[in-house]
Amino acid sequence: MNWMKISTVVKALSLVLICSLVPIHAESDLQHKVDSLFVIASSGELRYRDMTQPAIDSIAALGVSAVPLLVDKFTTKSARERWTVIWILRKIGSDAVPYLVSSLNRSDGLVVQRICWALGDIKDTTAVIPLMSVLEHKRWQVREQAVGALGKIGDSRAADAVMRVLYDSVGQVRKAAVVACGALAVQESIVGLVHTLNDQFYGARLEVANSLLKLDTTMVMEVLVDSIKSEKQMIGNLICQLLGEYGTDEAIEILLNQVLNSPDATRRAHAAVALIKADPQDNCDYRTTILERETDRLTRLKIESTISDLQNESE
Amino acid sequence: MKILSLFAVVLVWLPISTAVGQTADISPEQFGLEHICEFLNLKPDDISFRSDFTEPDSFRLKIVAELMSHPLSMIDYVSETKDAWVPGQPEIPSAILSQDLIGEYQTDRSQPYQPNTSEIQRKHNLYFANLSLNQLLSKAALYLDVIIPKSAEKALARLSSEQRSFLVNEFPELLIIHEEEEFFSIEENDSLEKTEEAYTEQFVEFGTLIDKDPIVAAGIDCLRQILLDVGVLRDALRRGELSKQELIKGTSYLPNQTTAQHFLGLQKGWAVGGPGNDYYEGDYYFILDVGGDDVYNLSYDPANPHCVIIIDLSGDDHYRSKTNFTLGSGCLSVGLLLDFEGNDRYDAKSFGLGSAFFGFGLLYDARGDDRYDGDTHVQGAGTFGIGLLIDESGRDIYNGALHCQGFGFVEGLGAIYEIDGSDSYYAGGKYKDVLRYEDHYLSLSQGFGYGLRPYASGGIGAIFDMKGNDSYYSDIFAQGTSYWWSLGIIYDSSGNDNYQSFQYAQGTATHMSLGVLIDDCGNDVYFGKGLMQGCGHDYSCGLLLDRSGDDTYTAYDLSQAAGSANGAGVLIDNEGNDRYSVRNSDNTHGYGNPRRSFGSIGLFIDLAGSDQYQGYGCDNHYWKTPSKWGGGIDIEINPPDTTAGENTQ
Repeated sequence: MNWMKISTVVKALSLVLICSLVPIHAESDLQHKVDSLFVIASSGELRYRDMTQPAIDSIAALGVSAVPLLVDKFTTKSARERWTVIWILRKIGSDAVPYLVSSLNRSDGLVVQRICWALGDIKDTTAVIPLMSVLEHKRWQVREQAVGALGKIGDSRAADAVMRVLYDSVGQVRKAAVVACGALAVQESIVGLVHTLNDQFYGARLEVANSLLKLDTTMVMEVLVDSIKSEKQMIGNLICQLLGEYGTDEAIEILLNQVLNSPDATRRAHAAVALIKADPQDNCDYRTTILERETDRLTRLKIESTISDLQNESE
Repeated sequence: MKILSLFAVVLVWLPISTAVGQTADISPEQFGLEHICEFLNLKPDDISFRSDFTEPDSFRLKIVAELMSHPLSMIDYVSETKDAWVPGQPEIPSAILSQDLIGEYQTDRSQPYQPNTSEIQRKHNLYFANLSLNQLLSKAALYLDVIIPKSAEKALARLSSEQRSFLVNEFPELLIIHEEEEFFSIEENDSLEKTEEAYTEQFVEFGTLIDKDPIVAAGIDCLRQILLDVGVLRDALRRGELSKQELIKGTSYLPNQTTAQHFLGLQKGWAVGGPGNDYYEGDYYFILDVGGDDVYNLSYDPANPHCVIIIDLSGDDHYRSKTNFTLGSGCLSVGLLLDFEGNDRYDAKSFGLGSAFFGFGLLYDARGDDRYDGDTHVQGAGTFGIGLLIDESGRDIYNGALHCQGFGFVEGLGAIYEIDGSDSYYAGGKYKDVLRYEDHYLSLSQGFGYGLRPYASGGIGAIFDMKGNDSYYSDIFAQGTSYWWSLGIIYDSSGNDNYQSFQYAQGTATHMSLGVLIDDCGNDVYFGKGLMQGCGHDYSCGLLLDRSGDDTYTAYDLSQAAGSANGAGVLIDNEGNDRYSVRNSDNTHGYGNPRRSFGSIGLFIDLAGSDQYQGYGCDNHYWKTPSKWGGGIDIEINPPDTTAGENTQ
């Protein structure tokens, strides 16, 4: 009798144990599968190149269940492995977003910045609000990736938040904000963007033109006309370049004024080059006027180089 | 009246000097850099990299960190460092270079062990009759028996015995490649990668406990002291005050029941050789050989580290390694090999010929046409210490496989000072670059700085070649190139030089590092495939500066002033009628590509001469390439002088 009881208890316990082990076993199966495929997917060797894409596809095919395991791999020190995780998450797409978003509050800033990067690549609008919540993260790389992701997603709800980041203390973050302002077409950011033409970080400074060109020309011109008088040489020079891109009558008039009246040879060169590019056929005969007046040897060479480049392009 | 005239002259001179001051006050390259930056709406200071792109580590060298913040200062740094060499005084560059091994946050440097009075006044049984020789031997004994072992102990004092054993057994695996790895399966490769990663992680846990300074400083002190006494002996021999035979003459009488090993210079592991041809085999501590064509067949056991001093005064000698860590190799200690005359041949295995592996290693060869052969971490290679090869004359040949010829690893500085003669350098051909190619080999040499990405910043690797028509041959990663928070330098002063490599070479830097190649004079040839000739990849700055001569530059792609992944690539040619040829004009001649939503920087600068271009550039021209962001200038820095023509008219 006792034996019967014991046997029943043992059977029951075994069943419980087996039942409880099934998910663990399935989980470790999945882990094993992802790990094995990941070794191949992230192999950098030339001779295994043909095997990497199928491995990436196989992990992506596992879908949502693979996402937590992939996020854990974001701690990797290997650039190749990091890229592989991004590629797979990008392939999984929107299905990965809920878990990624829920992981934005992790304590490891490195992982958070990489999650932001992945969310930007997936471009799912449900990530916008969660991404805005990390824009003041203490780690600048998180702020940079978050604002960059918001720009890539292109949801105007982020406009105000992105604009504020133009004044971040770190150049890389300001650069990301400049790009995002253009991508989101934030008209209210024009003054801030023009101010950034004098940014200490060249990445921010030189990205401004691309962003301004995506905004309302009339509104931008209004600010540029005012700002070309700035004492900061860099602002004026970059504005000359922008005015050449616009090529409007007003822009050309301002450029001509700079060419004829600026005492600064560098400014004259920037204005002349922009002016010549704005009138590539020289319909207004600016080239003769400019070359007749310009005496500085190297400034003349800059102008002649531009003319010669345009002639070569048209041939 | 005189004062008034002088004042008038000064007044007249002032505006003139201001007018030409545009180029007179600054170097041509500085003018070129400022001028192109103005043209491209950049500032020279825009080439600067934050120290926190990745987590900073504790192995970063201060000079590398500072130069990363101002990469264009590499030009001044190279000028200062090449001047460290003084004829016949290898201790001077050693001491100057050791200053650059200070860590980013290190405030003071540890001193070598200071011997007490009894250690200094230790009495020896003298065998040799010559006073100067005995003085040299006594001094050597003090360093070999006391100062260097105790300084080494001081350097490693905070390490456990397991950690010390790790340095000897596992750590070298981070530098060595085995030929069979080429044939590994994908799983074996993954396993190897993971093992190396585990070794690296294990090392960074305790690597900061190592203080290389006492051992390096002790080695340099020892070198200084030994050279003084060697100088006295050599002077005496040169002046004919004594013959070589007389110099090594022993006392005629030895007390009964005494063995030779109780006498200074005759201890176990010590040898003093005469003017004939001698043969030395084994693990030595000290050898002084006064002449003859000698053969050295040496070994070293890293499990029993000790200082090795070899001094050979003359003869065509053949130095051979039976094991790794021989021939001017400081392995957890100091290794000095000083050869003063003759056409010598050095055949090393790995970690030799001016190699520092947690120590100080010097190979000094004063004269002769020499040949240096070795495998890995040879010919001026430094890891946690200074590895230096100084060759002061002759037509020399350098042949190595990997991590050689001016190689600087973590907290290390490896350099070659080649003072005279037309030399040839070859690095590569043994360990395949399986990541990238089926038919190319890793070099990681010839002025190459290397770190453990992303765990530990790298060191400084440099070649300073002062004269001769030199040839540099390599394959992947070489010739003033770097990887991970490190600095690679080639400086070649004169001669018509030939630089050949395949990829990542000739003033190229990758992954947060700095690479520079400066060639002052001669009609030089630069040839390679890609990421060459002034190329910076991934927050790095690669710079090629050729100051004069009619030069020929050839590359396929992403070269000749190319910035990639937010790096900066700079090519400056100050003078001469040059020829620039590229295969792909879309990513060369002042090119930058975008990454992380902003551009890189490519600056191409030619300041004089009638130049030929195959590619985007053009003679007497300013250009901006359709890239983010780059361009070039080909100008005459000094306006053509038309006065001669006017006078003739």
